[in-house]
Amino acid sequence: MAFLEVHNLTKDFGGLRANNDISFSMARGELVSLIGPNGAGKTTLFNCISGLHPVTSGRVIFNGEEITKLNAHQVARRGLARTFQVYAAAGDLNVIENVMVGCFMKTHLRSRARARATEILKDLNIDHLADYLVSELPVAAQKLVTMATAIGSDPRLLMLDEVAAGLNPNEIEGILASIRHVHDDLGITVMLIEHVMELVMKISHRVIVLDYGEKIAEGDPETIAKDPGVIKAYLGERYVREHGGQQAVGSRE
Amino acid sequence: MEALRNALDFSDFPRLDLIVAGCVAIVFIVFPLFPHSSFAMATMIQFLMFSLYGMGWNTIGGYGGQVDLGKAQYVGIGAYTTAVMLIRWDIPFWVSMPIGMFFAVIWSFIIGYPLFRLKGHYFAIATIATSLVLKDIFEVWDFVGAARGLEISPIKYHPPDFLRLIFREDVYYFYVILGFFFLGILYMNWFRKSRLGFQLRSIKDNEDVARSLGINVHWAKVKTYAIATAFVSMVGSFHACYIKSIEPEDTMSLDISILIALMAMLGGAGSLWGPVIGAGILIPIKSYLKEWLGAQAGLVGIDLIIYALIIMAISAFEPRGVWGIVEKIRRRRRD
Ligand SMILES: Nc1ncnc2c1ncn2[C@@H]1O[C@H](COP(=O)(O)OP(=O)(O)OP(=O)(O)O)[C@@H](O)[C@H]1O
Ligand SMILES: [Mg+2]
Repeated sequence: MAFLEVHNLTKDFGGLRANNDISFSMARGELVSLIGPNGAGKTTLFNCISGLHPVTSGRVIFNGEEITKLNAHQVARRGLARTFQVYAAAGDLNVIENVMVGCFMKTHLRSRARARATEILKDLNIDHLADYLVSELPVAAQKLVTMATAIGSDPRLLMLDEVAAGLNPNEIEGILASIRHVHDDLGITVMLIEHVMELVMKISHRVIVLDYGEKIAEGDPETIAKDPGVIKAYLGERYVREHGGQQAVGSRE
Repeated sequence: MEALRNALDFSDFPRLDLIVAGCVAIVFIVFPLFPHSSFAMATMIQFLMFSLYGMGWNTIGGYGGQVDLGKAQYVGIGAYTTAVMLIRWDIPFWVSMPIGMFFAVIWSFIIGYPLFRLKGHYFAIATIATSLVLKDIFEVWDFVGAARGLEISPIKYHPPDFLRLIFREDVYYFYVILGFFFLGILYMNWFRKSRLGFQLRSIKDNEDVARSLGINVHWAKVKTYAIATAFVSMVGSFHACYIKSIEPEDTMSLDISILIALMAMLGGAGSLWGPVIGAGILIPIKSYLKEWLGAQAGLVGIDLIIYALIIMAISAFEPRGVWGIVEKIRRRRRD
């Protein structure tokens, strides 16, 4: 039995079909990347799976239970956590307090939430930032904080929306190590949306490609990187001419 | 018990804050022992009452970011419950106060449940509306004295009556409300560190993120609104015994609602000391204006002008009020 199953998921925004009949599944322990050009519908797919948007049609099954109609907080309580592509905590919570919000999903006790949050910050090597406001931090650290917060809720499946966007190569190495740690050491199944190909190629067991709301390919990183349809859709003709097909850093947010 | 420990633990504040807070507390405690005018005493009691109203407001309005402009309806529920029960059935304050809180919480569920489906400004406006509706009901409801209101006449009792909270000297009222005030501070100190407190701050920051962390956003707001309400109703009950004459136009006016919200915002919404600082600034101004300027014809509306100026100043300079300025300075020092 698959861990996460998505069956024929379709999502319309008015006349715009952001996801069209998408099906895929994931096994426990896998690390899957979701890629595709801007506006392909990746974030929308995350929103539908995590219960933030109602789906137009289709089904989502997580850990053997249908979660299609559940609210976002109910989905989260079943062990599915996610981060947000554009989100800088602007409020008055500092780093450790942010992470504690995640931890409070599993405990009522502040002392326990605090201890767990401290542990996670240490794990991700950002414990020295505990008392800063999130808005005071550089982007790379902010991304780690959103990851840490999601981890705080002790998820079984973690969905990361572009955690490496806007980072320099050094920082990408850092986040790569963090994702590996989450997956390998904490045993959390991971799905990530990523434009940074270098990271996708290095880390993924499997890659799913969206274009204009449709799934156009699925397979292991090497196969995907050579798939002419993907190269054309995702990387564009110019890239193919200049680089001949392997890794690249995708543009933008 | 962890909750009690959290309520008593102020160690995350800088030492300076604790020294100031301690000194202020001592001044409050000894204040009646020194010569003072009855005007000063009345202002002091008003200040403590409005601090408590502000603390209640601060749970949902400050930590939760849901601007509530209808707190007067809960002042009314508390005040009327206590007054009606005392006058009609001679039920003491300490019994009627929790019953008033209970009614207030029920009413808060009835209106909070649908209202929290609304977003932003609509919520604020809806709270004004429900408060006015409740006031109108009280104005025509004979059982609670309709527009004439209710009068608690002290001659029927034998002050000092600690059960019914009927006193001849204000100093008794002062110490009762001071006790509530200290308990209120402890409760808020627990609240801000509680799971619900964290959830609200997360909701205020970003509701989608809060949802995806397993927080039932709607329910968290409804619950917190009930807490805010209980606070306000409790002080409303006290108000009935202290003022002894309540009528809808006075007790449940929009002015009261706005003053409560404004005070908390001026002092610092979403901070422990904010409502106290706000009440400390605004209540003396209000009392002074009422006492001195209000007597001169033509200056009656001046308090409204001052409130408007304060709103403008907060939104232009520092949305997080006086306490926001303090924290900003501290942050700058640290870096
Ligand atoms: N809430 C919404 N309402 C209306 N249209 C939306 C909404 N969210 C997304 N869309 C539209 O759906 C399409 C897919 O958007 P989505 O954000 O899922 O793309 P994406 O693959 O995540 O792109 P990016 O790489 O830029 O993040 C876009 O055309 C977008 O404008
Ligand atoms: Mg996106």
